Amino acid sequence: MESSLILLFMFTSLVVFMLSGAGLAFVLGAIAFISTILLWGPSALIVAVLNTFETMTSESLMAIPLYVLMASILQKSAIIDALYDAMETWFSNVNGGLAVGTIAICTILAAMTGVVGAAVAAMGILALPSMLSRGYHPPLALGAICAGGTLGILIPPSVVTIVYAITAQISIGKMFAAGIVPGLILAASYSAYILVRTWLNPSLAPKPEQAVTVPLSVKLSKLKALILPGLVVIGVLGSIYAGIATPTEAAAVGVLGAAASAIVTRRLSVPMLSEAATDTLRVTAMILWITIGARAFISVFVATGGADSLLNFVETLEASRWIVLGAMVLILIFLGLFLDEIGIILLCVPVFLPIVSALEFDPLWFGVLFMITAQMAYITPPFGYTLFYLKGVLPPGIGIGQVYRGVIPFFLIQVAVLILFALFPGLVTWLPEMMMSNAKP
Amino acid sequence: QGVTKWRMQALWGGGTTPQLYEEKFCERVKQLTGGSLEITPFAGGQIVPAAQAFDAVRGGAFEMMKTFDGYTAGKIPAHGFSSTVPFGFPEADQYEAWFYERDGLAMAKESYEAAGLTYVAPTVYGEEPIHSKVEIRKIADMNGLKGRFVGLASAVMADFGVSVSPLPTSEVYSALDKGLVDFADRGDIKANYEEGLQEVAKFLILPGVHQPSTATAYVANTAAYGRLDDQQKAALEVAAREVSGALRQNIIVDNGEYLRKYEEAGVEIIDLDADDVAEARARAVESWKKAAGEDDLAKRMMESQMSLMQELRLL
Amino acid sequence: MTAIARSVTALNRLLFALAKWLVYAIVLLMLWEVLSRYMLASPTSWAPELAMLIFGPFFLLGGPYLLHLGGHVAVDILSEKATGRFATVLALIGYVLAAVFGAILLWFSVPLAMQSYSYGETSYSAWNPVIWPAKAFLPLASFLLMLQALAEIVLALRGEKV
Ligand code: NA
Ligand code: NA
Repeated sequence: MESSLILLFMFTSLVVFMLSGAGLAFVLGAIAFISTILLWGPSALIVAVLNTFETMTSESLMAIPLYVLMASILQKSAIIDALYDAMETWFSNVNGGLAVGTIAICTILAAMTGVVGAAVAAMGILALPSMLSRGYHPPLALGAICAGGTLGILIPPSVVTIVYAITAQISIGKMFAAGIVPGLILAASYSAYILVRTWLNPSLAPKPEQAVTVPLSVKLSKLKALILPGLVVIGVLGSIYAGIATPTEAAAVGVLGAAASAIVTRRLSVPMLSEAATDTLRVTAMILWITIGARAFISVFVATGGADSLLNFVETLEASRWIVLGAMVLILIFLGLFLDEIGIILLCVPVFLPIVSALEFDPLWFGVLFMITAQMAYITPPFGYTLFYLKGVLPPGIGIGQVYRGVIPFFLIQVAVLILFALFPGLVTWLPEMMMSNAKP
Repeated sequence: QGVTKWRMQALWGGGTTPQLYEEKFCERVKQLTGGSLEITPFAGGQIVPAAQAFDAVRGGAFEMMKTFDGYTAGKIPAHGFSSTVPFGFPEADQYEAWFYERDGLAMAKESYEAAGLTYVAPTVYGEEPIHSKVEIRKIADMNGLKGRFVGLASAVMADFGVSVSPLPTSEVYSALDKGLVDFADRGDIKANYEEGLQEVAKFLILPGVHQPSTATAYVANTAAYGRLDDQQKAALEVAAREVSGALRQNIIVDNGEYLRKYEEAGVEIIDLDADDVAEARARAVESWKKAAGEDDLAKRMMESQMSLMQELRLL
Repeated sequence: MTAIARSVTALNRLLFALAKWLVYAIVLLMLWEVLSRYMLASPTSWAPELAMLIFGPFFLLGGPYLLHLGGHVAVDILSEKATGRFATVLALIGYVLAAVFGAILLWFSVPLAMQSYSYGETSYSAWNPVIWPAKAFLPLASFLLMLQALAEIVLALRGEKV
């Protein structure tokens, strides 16, 4: 069968089956199988199995369950509660203080864990009720939680970053380093927005009628809450950058740190470890079964010549490289509305990266742009993970519509920051270059 | 007569030098057959990971592959000897001579026969370098260091006292940078320069004793191969032998050019003493024997190589 | 039929519950590797490789029961709003695709796993373990996925769960 017809079939059926609500893994896999038979004959189906064997023995992908486990143990170990408690003491007397504090905690959590769910779920349980009871405008509170929760994608360690680095064949450590500055800039931008907005309109996030005075000694002692998270951050990132461990091994160090924290907070127990293992297997199986399907899909796409013709098409375009880049980013944002990030990476990166290289852009920098679009995807309806996580903890009287409204300004900030990094690649590449090549001539 | 269309899964990434030579190979086959055999090459990992191509060709997904036998040495022990032998032939020409002037080619064909695959011809080229953060002047200096090696080299280097970590290729740069390992192998001299290893390892050790000479191979599905006519079969052999020489010479010239670039980047190039390497080769024989184990073909390949080495006064 | 479907689900639930503990084995192996390389300056040849051999079976065995839990990523714009027969049809599409996916993986992985066994295939590393046991989990998990998908079809048609 004509390969362009097969390509057409692949993408139409992808859209149709995806809309049916079938699991993405199986949609991708089944379409890949049918297309392989049409293009190549049934004997070529073996390709999917061979790709799966390779997936099963990837040292780097093995980091995924380890980071998920670490996040899950931390979430159950109550150190987030202690952090929140400390933050409330420090920030509550400022307009918008709790929302800014939420961003601050999310930043700390982002540096500890590699998964978004932990931060959003914890803040939904801790920060949301306390902001609402203080009379915060619900969309502002909800937006801050959603946006803050996604910081974990950019700020290392991060599972999404790992999958990108593996797919793009870049060093995970380097890719992690690239996310630090952009992640902190995003966090600062969210905070600045909240402060300016509540300064202009204090009723959105009122401070308590009577300022609660907490003695400085109490305030200082609450800072103890920072010790455990600090140790975990140092354990994970430190062991990567001090040359003690690979990113995968560092995740195991992180699990150890999380378990130690749980011992300190007296939450470590067999049922707790069992629940954490359940969470871990759920998330890991979900990501890796998609990987199986996506790899099958991509190999047929390449075999049809689809990847080559796309590259040729882009190369013959007279358009400037920036227009092509813009188009790729728009496609990523668009896909992010419907699709999960891991799926997008597995599908788009093998196709986009040759284009990125041909246009002489830096794949590392493109990776950061990618992670920002992934953050957008996490907070935009209809398919945004953070929205799902929050749905479960919304108090009565607050609908998902308020969440949708709340994320809009944060989405716009992400757009602005995305453009900033696109225009000033140095913001992204400076740190990894400094950290990774101290011996550069 | 109609045109036969084949697909070939190759080893290397798109745009790399060896992959350009795979494209030349396909061009040449087309030319030599008057257009009756058209082979489409797919870059490494585009359809299946290079290490899995064996089963893909066996299963009929491709008619042909360019492979590195080392990937299948876990299945077929003889492939440890038809791909690269740590401390083996120091010159690529000597290794290629073993294939064509001795029984190397015949035994390589034998190794694939039972799997329903036909070994067409090897592509033989020279060493891959060792990059080190610490000074290594003699083989004995490697004892006690942490190194990154894969495959048979990891076992042999372990026998020489190296603590071996089989890290993924993508992590070699940062593993060296952060001191996770003291020294490492990765790819060839040019590819490693392009990865930036000169920034993180101040010493480049030659010869790369862990991989002094290398053979990759064109291997076809036997059923598909059987349907070719004699001209097409001959074209595959001729084109393969041309590519082997051409790629090897290209690498020789590139190596010269890139070694200068390493020096300009402040890397010291250390040439190990030939007698030291020869002495280590004699010791490596024990590791080879372990790798060959009880496998008849592997033992025959090893003995055939050793006898040529003795005649060449390498052993 | 429903009884069989329930036992398939129970089997996969059990395997999920057993497999999930493997993640702790992976953690311990990786920690041991860090410790022996950094503290004892002698990396093991086996710990990371053993962890990798466990990793495949770990995530593969999670897949079938995840199907029952509805935990595979999906776009639920339509299915969320669908009711009645339409909802059943949508659910069936998903399960049929999953069954096809499992069946094809099974069909093609069985010969490869058997071949690996008959070759006595090893990883050809310094440790050099046989690798067919890890490979064998792909046909096993594919088979279980297919069974679970069929079980879900039965349950959906009986109106037991949509
Ligand atoms: Na993170
Ligand atoms: Na979205």
